Amino acid sequence: MWSYALRRVLMTIPTLLLVITVCYLMLHATPGGPFDTERKVSAAVMANLQAKYHLDLPLWQQYLLYLKSLLQGDLGASFRYADWSVNELVGNALPVSLAIGGGSLLISVFIGVALGIVAALRQNSLIDYFVMLVGNLGSAFPSFVIGPVLILLFAIWLSVLPAGGWNDFDPRYMVLPIALLTFINVSTIGRVMRGSLIEVLNSNFIRTARAKGLPLRTIVFRHALKPALMPVVSVLGPLAISSITSAVVTESVFSLPGLGKLIINGASNRDYTLVLGLVVLVTVFAVILNLLVDLAYAYLDPKIRY
Amino acid sequence: MKKTMTISVLAASVALGLGVSGAAFAAKVPAGTPLAAKQEIVRNNGSEAESLDPAIAESVGANNLVRDLFEGLTATDNEGKVVPGVAESWKQKDPTTWVFTLRKNAKWSDGSTVTADDFVYGIRRFLDPKTASTYATTYGAFLLNGVEAAEGKKPVADVGVKALDKFTLEIKTPYPVAFLPEVVSNGQLGPVPKAAVDKFGKDWVKPGNMVSNGAFVLKEWQVNSKVVLAKNPQYWDNKNVQLTRVTYLPIEDGFADVKMFLSGENDWVYQLPPGTYEKYKAELPKDIRNAPMLGLRYYGLNHKDPVMKDVRVRKALSMVIDRDILATKITADGQVPAYSAIVRGTSGADVTSYDWAKWPMAQRVAEAKKLLAAAGVKPGSKIKFSYNTSEYHKKMAIFAASEWKSKLGLNTELENMEFKVLLKKRHDGDYQIGRNGWVADYNDASTFLTLVQCGSEQNDNFNCNPKAEALIKQGNLAQNPAQRKQLLTQATKMIMDDYPMIPLLQYTVPRLVKSYVGGYTTRNPMDRYRSKDLYIIKH
Repeated sequence: MWSYALRRVLMTIPTLLLVITVCYLMLHATPGGPFDTERKVSAAVMANLQAKYHLDLPLWQQYLLYLKSLLQGDLGASFRYADWSVNELVGNALPVSLAIGGGSLLISVFIGVALGIVAALRQNSLIDYFVMLVGNLGSAFPSFVIGPVLILLFAIWLSVLPAGGWNDFDPRYMVLPIALLTFINVSTIGRVMRGSLIEVLNSNFIRTARAKGLPLRTIVFRHALKPALMPVVSVLGPLAISSITSAVVTESVFSLPGLGKLIINGASNRDYTLVLGLVVLVTVFAVILNLLVDLAYAYLDPKIRY
Repeated sequence: MKKTMTISVLAASVALGLGVSGAAFAAKVPAGTPLAAKQEIVRNNGSEAESLDPAIAESVGANNLVRDLFEGLTATDNEGKVVPGVAESWKQKDPTTWVFTLRKNAKWSDGSTVTADDFVYGIRRFLDPKTASTYATTYGAFLLNGVEAAEGKKPVADVGVKALDKFTLEIKTPYPVAFLPEVVSNGQLGPVPKAAVDKFGKDWVKPGNMVSNGAFVLKEWQVNSKVVLAKNPQYWDNKNVQLTRVTYLPIEDGFADVKMFLSGENDWVYQLPPGTYEKYKAELPKDIRNAPMLGLRYYGLNHKDPVMKDVRVRKALSMVIDRDILATKITADGQVPAYSAIVRGTSGADVTSYDWAKWPMAQRVAEAKKLLAAAGVKPGSKIKFSYNTSEYHKKMAIFAASEWKSKLGLNTELENMEFKVLLKKRHDGDYQIGRNGWVADYNDASTFLTLVQCGSEQNDNFNCNPKAEALIKQGNLAQNPAQRKQLLTQATKMIMDDYPMIPLLQYTVPRLVKSYVGGYTTRNPMDRYRSKDLYIIKH
């Protein structure tokens, strides 16, 4: 298994290089540059700016310079935020995204799996309908609708929580964003868990277990849970990446200084280095998470061997 | 009352080129105003500052912060009037030479004295091509050899800024610049602490490293979260500074901004989201503030385009847009109709207008139809309007298109795109009619004239009127401000009669500011409020 993991890690290098190259070319092909603003600068000032950020060099040279600094772990200087390097910007935003995204995912897994189990065991009962209703609501209502409702309720009417902002991991500022993301994640995890457990419970080996007279608890937790978790684990990878990177709307609704905000601002400002730095980060994340998911498969399903 | 007097005295003495007395001009709290025990404010700044380095700061938000952290030779108060900053007085020795006398008690936050050399260093650093400031040629244009230095054609040592002694600074301009005292209020032309820059490099603007000379010092800076400033005990006028702590937020989402205001975590909404002004005016009458500012919304007309190069077409398109309906019904946020490149409140030229602005609409339409027919543009012809994706711009564009359709029978294709794409198209002349806007960098007509002058960087219309250009040149050389104003007004009228653009509305700043925030005047056309001039009333 370790040699498999190592092979997978090595495979990321060409993937990463491809992603960087494609992204690099796409960014430079997009009309408008980092220094185009409503107040157009004179040709001489533009030349000063381009020289400062090496944009005056041929594209291939810029590309090689970028790869060189990347190898040294330097994501470059931000084109927009002149006082900061991309390493600093990402370093400041990553903990916020991890806290919100990771925190909500952890909570969602517990709640989602629990609700899914309950709903599957009490199929077509009131509890099941309730869980499915919550699941459908979470999928149907976008976060830009639920978010403001949460703010209106808890920050403006009840005045118990702040309407937004961030204050050094002060839990008060984390409750609402985590609640919002959890609500959305639980709906996915709960529905997947319910469906998969129902399927497993109808399979032959469970029928055998029932026939042997095993108590329900043993059947569910010893025999059914593991195979039923497989689809849940599959969705966790993409869900984890999206809770960290595409939490743009959540970050905007709650004014959080996370990665999503950097990605959006970076792209609209044509902050080439910032966008590339974030792309590298997300790619590495995706590869690691996918690897973890694959390794989890081997644990959950004895038939899978690497 | 007293304040108004001192200001008019000041204005008069500036006009006469006389020295100014060294009195303190901080916005005083009116007698009898009870102050809150806690003097702290939270201001939303609209976006994350791209830099706190006064030479590099470009956006409105970044410059708001720079104005609190640093102080130039002069400053502008909460009514937009020029007041002494580090310079306690100044005089125009001859038409192109100014001498600024610095106060001896102006200190950096590390306790060292602010000297004329700090200004020389700051200005040279600002213009240095290596600094690559986007404002280098904008403000450099007012300093002798400033543009040449920014372009790398002359060494920065040749720029017309000289320390005559420790507390006397001489500035030479390439032509008479009557409004130089206002220009030097900008942080770009302010002092920079060389020792801190040498020691920390570009990190000198970070908390803990920054040495500043303004009313506030930098306490904390979390990107995309907040910038916290604290009162600067070393500031020369700190007895007139009320606030002890100022928190700037970078919230871009207008609705999130308003929610934080309603929940009490924010005292200052940067700008109300489109379409909400009337609602909040009714709901929060004490907090709503709306004031015109020196900014113009307009549609650029590309003179390189085969249809738009005909002045009759341009005129017809401009005539039929009902600015009054646009202002009161479409944008409905208190903006004022505009018929000139110059907006109300601008110094240095009068606002011009068109005769037809007062005509009944039917007469305007009839005239416009005649013009179009003469130009050979038949009803049913297609025109193309480009704008950057935004609800606000879309609303205005649909209105303009419906005016052109219903009154002239023209079919407008609306093309929306991302902001940077629009900028590129506009700069490249790859459009027909394009959304555009401008906010003044300093209060003088010349900032707006850059939009329509021959070969100007800001002129996306590509129009040129050589006769008007000659008048502007003549005006800028004039030593008498009244004569300059007359010439610039005449030039503006001449240019506007060529219909290079469709002026639509003068910007306003509709926002919510808590009623207990004192010092917010709504009489500040540049919308530059230093936290020094603000205070919290007991509530």
